[in-house]
Amino acid sequence: MQRTIGVACSGLLAPLDVRNLRIFSAWVVAAALVFAGTLIALDGEGLQHSPLGWLLVLTTTLLTVCALVAYVRFIRAADELLRKIHLEGLALGFGAGVAFMVCYRLFERMGARHLTISAPLVVMTLFWALGQAIGMRRYMAGADDAR
Amino acid sequence: MKNRLRVLRAEREWSQAELAQRLGVSRQTINAVEVGKYDPSLPLAFAMARIFNARLEDIFFPDDTIVRSEGTDQ
Repeated sequence: MQRTIGVACSGLLAPLDVRNLRIFSAWVVAAALVFAGTLIALDGEGLQHSPLGWLLVLTTTLLTVCALVAYVRFIRAADELLRKIHLEGLALGFGAGVAFMVCYRLFERMGARHLTISAPLVVMTLFWALGQAIGMRRYMAGADDAR
Repeated sequence: MKNRLRVLRAEREWSQAELAQRLGVSRQTINAVEVGKYDPSLPLAFAMARIFNARLEDIFFPDDTIVRSEGTDQ
């Protein structure tokens, strides 16, 4: 057992999970803010193909990779039920994203509106959250029965 | 997979939170195992066996074992 004895076990998130989730959230917020700033900056005049433009792009990429690493660390250290719920959420999100990307190409040929690369990202994120909600509901039935 | 975790825990008068703390997992994990929603990993199952001073097969058993033994009793 890698997790230390003495964790607060009143809920699904132990202190270690809370700590790791906070670290992941901090990286996500930082990456999102820099991403938004970079997008606005690159839409302006003169920054494209400039050293500052490259610096912003690389900084955004680095922050995103840091968020990814923090999430993997969170998953690896997580309580095993929490890990299962998250992995099921990831599986549903990934599967829905792939299905959307494959099938929507056909919908486009049938006249549906052309979407940007961000659309599958939204689908994946929504289904990731949905998968976790389903997992919580499935595995935490009767959770109030503490005795 | 069925288990006798709730019975063993009750014999020692431990709450789910107490057992969870001893095993280093969340209370929700203990609850999910007890109600049969989640099968624990082997390391966790062995930790449970150790903490209850029992063998794995004394705590966990497949569903069909119960059906067969119930049929035998009748």
